Amino acid sequence: MIAKWIGKRVIMGTIVLIIVSFLSFFIMHAAPGNPAAAYYGGNAQTLSTAEKERIEKAFGLDEPVLYQYGTWLREALQGNLGYSAKEGRPVAAILQERLPTTLQLVVLTLLIVAIASTWLGLLAGMKEGSIVDRVLSMFSIASSAIPPFWLGILFIMVFSVQLGWFPTSGMNDVRGEGGLVDRLYHIVLPLTVLVISHVGIFARFLQDSVKAENRSYYVQVAFANGVPEREIRTMVFRNAVIPYINYIGMTIPSFFGGSIVVETLFGWSGLGQLLVKSVMVKDFPVLMGAILIIGVVVVICLFMIDVLMICLNPRLRRGGIV
Amino acid sequence: MFNIENLTVRINDKYLIKGMTFTVPKGQITAIIGESGSGKSTTISALLGILPAQATLEGTIFFNGRDLIDLSRDERLALRKKHFFTIFQDATNSFSPTLKMKQQLYSLTALRLGHKNEAFLAKIKVILKDLNLSEDVLESYPFELSGGMLQRCMLACALYNEPDVLMADEPTSALDMLHQQEFIKRLKKLHTQLGTTVLLITHDLGVAASIADFILVMKNGEIVERGQVAEIFEQPKHLYTKRLVANHF
Repeated sequence: MIAKWIGKRVIMGTIVLIIVSFLSFFIMHAAPGNPAAAYYGGNAQTLSTAEKERIEKAFGLDEPVLYQYGTWLREALQGNLGYSAKEGRPVAAILQERLPTTLQLVVLTLLIVAIASTWLGLLAGMKEGSIVDRVLSMFSIASSAIPPFWLGILFIMVFSVQLGWFPTSGMNDVRGEGGLVDRLYHIVLPLTVLVISHVGIFARFLQDSVKAENRSYYVQVAFANGVPEREIRTMVFRNAVIPYINYIGMTIPSFFGGSIVVETLFGWSGLGQLLVKSVMVKDFPVLMGAILIIGVVVVICLFMIDVLMICLNPRLRRGGIV
Repeated sequence: MFNIENLTVRINDKYLIKGMTFTVPKGQITAIIGESGSGKSTTISALLGILPAQATLEGTIFFNGRDLIDLSRDERLALRKKHFFTIFQDATNSFSPTLKMKQQLYSLTALRLGHKNEAFLAKIKVILKDLNLSEDVLESYPFELSGGMLQRCMLACALYNEPDVLMADEPTSALDMLHQQEFIKRLKKLHTQLGTTVLLITHDLGVAASIADFILVMKNGEIVERGQVAEIFEQPKHLYTKRLVANHF
């Protein structure tokens, strides 16, 4: 039964990745400009038409888009993501360098957001109408309304330029030897921006979920029958956390989206920054590789969330859904 | 046992209960009857001290000579744990959907009384068997059981707790006829065996007639008539009671 469910999920995940890559490939080719421009590099002005045609033919760019996509997909399924049009290096090698730095940022953000929003959401939700409840409601609206790029610029101005507490950008001190402390020192500002732009809305979701659960019939029954409040709180949390975890799962892609802006702003050399640079120079093989790898990570995360949901929700376990 | 005088409950300017005065004698079954919205459930909430925060409560509620109105939240909780047990209307939603029944029945019984798990299991299994429920119920989740089974689980909790007062708010309204009769039979047995005082809220006159010793008729937050079962059903005085009785038979 479980093997069948996992098999189904793997097939669904693969279909999602194929759809994502298909749409990305066609949107890229529909954008203005010549996809061969990245191969020309800075020599576009000096190349003759014949030379341009030769380059396009060599890289298959003269073929119909559907044919090009088919070729890319066939190679990708065999583990070959091609070569960067800009750098000439294998895309897989570039992604291997960039993925861990993005994951550092995203996983750390997710962890802090999950812990902080759980604490805040529970605190506010359990004390409906209290000051904490009202302050959190306002904070969540404010924090989700502030664009991360603006907050990032503000942080750079205040904490880097004026106070000089943190570096404006980069991942390591050029004069230093690197290491964990140096990396943490550089990650503080981008991490804080990402956490602030997510934590309010997550805490608000849990806060509302706890409030709704607190009004549940079974809570009234337990309360009326003298079940200790601690026991009731545990029941409420257990039930309120299920939609909250589902919500985290659904919004995981937004963490990667947020990291694109933040990485670019803070010079964090991860997949987000790579994506932006690749768009600028129309490095389609790298773009496709980066989109695919982010897609794979998101699909894996969603799979893990599904497993967690099954563990937490007996209706999914015993209701024959699995 | 309960002595209620001039009980008034309102939310802002809306009166839910207006100046109710009645007693719930020890060891008897008192039924409060009336249509939906007449204030029956609010009466139970007031007695239990679980009214919504925005509600204003006036009057006196004496339980065994002690006024409950000014009790603190903790004192109320202690009182509910020690003396009362309440069965509510909607058994399907009376239990947390993600916990096994064993854990929930434990919270509603042994945890209140300070019993150990082994003692709980030994006692609850006997009670469940007596209520025609298999031991498998303990390992089930609420969504795996029918409404009738869940209501019997609540009754099992009441039997386990042996409370001084059992309050039942429309306990049979979600059950089919067969389960209704079965439930009434069990409730009667609990009352006879343990001498439990029962306060029954119902809109079903048949249920009240079959089990109650004394009946209070409520309309728009007020008691419009009171009396022994025979009096109410054979010689109703108030127009509203006459209409209720006429509609039932």
